[in-house]
This record gives sequence, structure tokens and C-alpha cells, in this order.
Amino acid sequence: MRDDSTVVDLVTRARGGEKNAWDELVERYAPLVYSVCRRCRLAQPDIDDVGQSVWLRLVEHLPGLREPAALPGWIATTTQRECFRLIRATSRVEPVDFVQAPDVPEQAIAEEEVLRHERKTILRTAFAELSRRCQVLLGLLMQDPPAPYDEISRRLQVPIGSIGPNRARCLTRLRQTPALARLAADGPDDRTRG
Amino acid sequence: MDPDWHDDEKLIEALRDALASADEVPSAFVEAGKAAFAWRTIDAELAALTYDSAQDPLDALAIRSESAILRSLTFASDGWTVELELTPNAVLGQLDPPEVGLVTARGDGGKLAEAEIDELGFFVLGPPPNNPYRLVCTTQSGTTILTGWITP
Repeated sequence: MRDDSTVVDLVTRARGGEKNAWDELVERYAPLVYSVCRRCRLAQPDIDDVGQSVWLRLVEHLPGLREPAALPGWIATTTQRECFRLIRATSRVEPVDFVQAPDVPEQAIAEEEVLRHERKTILRTAFAELSRRCQVLLGLLMQDPPAPYDEISRRLQVPIGSIGPNRARCLTRLRQTPALARLAADGPDDRTRG
Repeated sequence: MDPDWHDDEKLIEALRDALASADEVPSAFVEAGKAAFAWRTIDAELAALTYDSAQDPLDALAIRSESAILRSLTFASDGWTVELELTPNAVLGQLDPPEVGLVTARGDGGKLAEAEIDELGFFVLGPPPNNPYRLVCTTQSGTTILTGWITP
């Protein structure tokens, strides 16, 4: 993880009883818990149950957490275990393929979700570091379907002909943001190329 | 950096995916996680919901026709089971294995109701709380069991 120091800091402060540090941890990792639950194909009420168990276990686990940097992995693995437990206990959900596949180690799935989460977090951080103008432009282009160029031209008050070059420039800036530049400095990230 | 991200189209696609997955998490889910911090002082075994008559159409029908029981629930941890029957006037509970102790209904705001658990592991908690709560059973031998949320 490249944001080790932030996670370590948040964990230390939450341990000390700082509620806002805990809130930040939850905000940071709720998408990870959620995506693991979704991967287990749980319905919303079950996702809520699993979420509660995971956060409570984390509250309990915080004081004994020896390696705060390993937190994302711990969260993903715990979420997955809670999902399986709930599926077994209620049998209300169709077991997913990988639940039955004995050749997929539990750790590998959790690790994969952690990496996906990490990549998404980095992209979101990078996006937040862009200028407002680039955010709006990319936002319009990312709509499904993408906003037509004449609308973008009107909203941003730029000639239609400059939208393409602007888009390229904004993406280049995205790659140069500190968040993504740190990744580039680490060299090609082979770990994400499963 | 992911080599794919050097490609404009792929980078936009990855970005769209990243922004969308943050949006798909309901804010209530995040808020519930934040509220869990209030439970950090409780060192308990978590008992998860294993049965809910509200999820069981046949049973819900049987319960409605024969008694004042509105709903029955079962929570289980590795070593303990808490069976509950919710009636209009009280929450009837059975701790298994039976042990003397104290049961407390707690919401995010703190304690809502309290009752003793008798030597047969039975308790009557009333009146039932109006807000969502969880039960904390503390036995004489020092075990604390925390159930999942119960929404009246």
C-alpha cells in the first residue's frame, strides 16, 4: 500500500478514541467491504448485516492490530468470511461459483479485491487533484452515453474543435498527479496485472 | 502504473469505474459503520442472525394465527444461542446454554432496557424498545454476547 502512513495514523488515532479518525477509516474502506459483499451476491439487508459484523470486529480488533498497513487485507478477508458464514447460516443466497471452487484460496480473492480497491482509491484521489475544469470535462465525457460535444462546448464555453485536445491534456494531467505519479515512480505495477 | 492507463480510452474507463463504485455504496451503509465506534468499549462475542420468522412465510403465518408472538428470531455465535420472541409487551428470550446474567437492550444512543436472565437462561425484557437495538447478554461467568440489530 502506498498510503501506509495515512492508514497507520488513522488506526493510531482511532485506537486513542478519536471518532473522526474512525469515520475516515470507515469512509475509506466501506467501498471495499461493499464490493466483497457484492461479489458474494448478497442482497442489501445481508450486506448491512455483514457490514455491521465487520465494523464491530474491527472496533474490537483495533487495539491488537500489530500491522496497521495490513488493514485492507484484514478487512477484505474478514468481510469474505462473514459473507460465507451468512450464506451458510441462512442458505437464502445461492452460493457463488468461487465458494464451491476449492482451488481458489480465500486469501487470493481477498487480495484481488484489495488491489482493485487500491487502484480505484488512487484514481479517485488523482481525479480530486485535477482542476475543476478538467473534472467537469471528464465528468461530461464519462456520462453514459457521453455528453455530446456541442453541449460540452456550451457548458465549458470552448470551441468544439478544442474538446479533443483538452480531453487529452486533462488525461495527461491525471497521469501526472502526485497520486498517479507515485505509482509511476514505483515502476510498472505488476501486482495488478493478475 | 497500470500500463493500460497510458491508453486514453482505458484510463477514462478505469476512472468511470472508480467513481461509480464509490457512488454505489449507500450512505446508510457508511453511517452504520461509523456508528459502530460506539460499541468499541464492549468486548463481546457476536451472535449473528440465523433465523427470522419474518423471512419465513409459512412460519409467519403460523405465528400470526396462534399467538401474540409477532416475530421470532434466533442469534448464534460459536458457543451460544439466543432465541427471541417479540410480543407487543415484551421481548422473551432464552439463552442457551442457560446461565444467570444480565441482558441489556442498547441502541446507538445507549441503554434502552435491562432485565435479569434467570438460572434457566430465560429473560423477559419489557416494554420492547421502539428504536432499533441489540441485546448484550452478560453471564455470571463473564461472557458477553452481542446480538445483531433488531428493528421493531
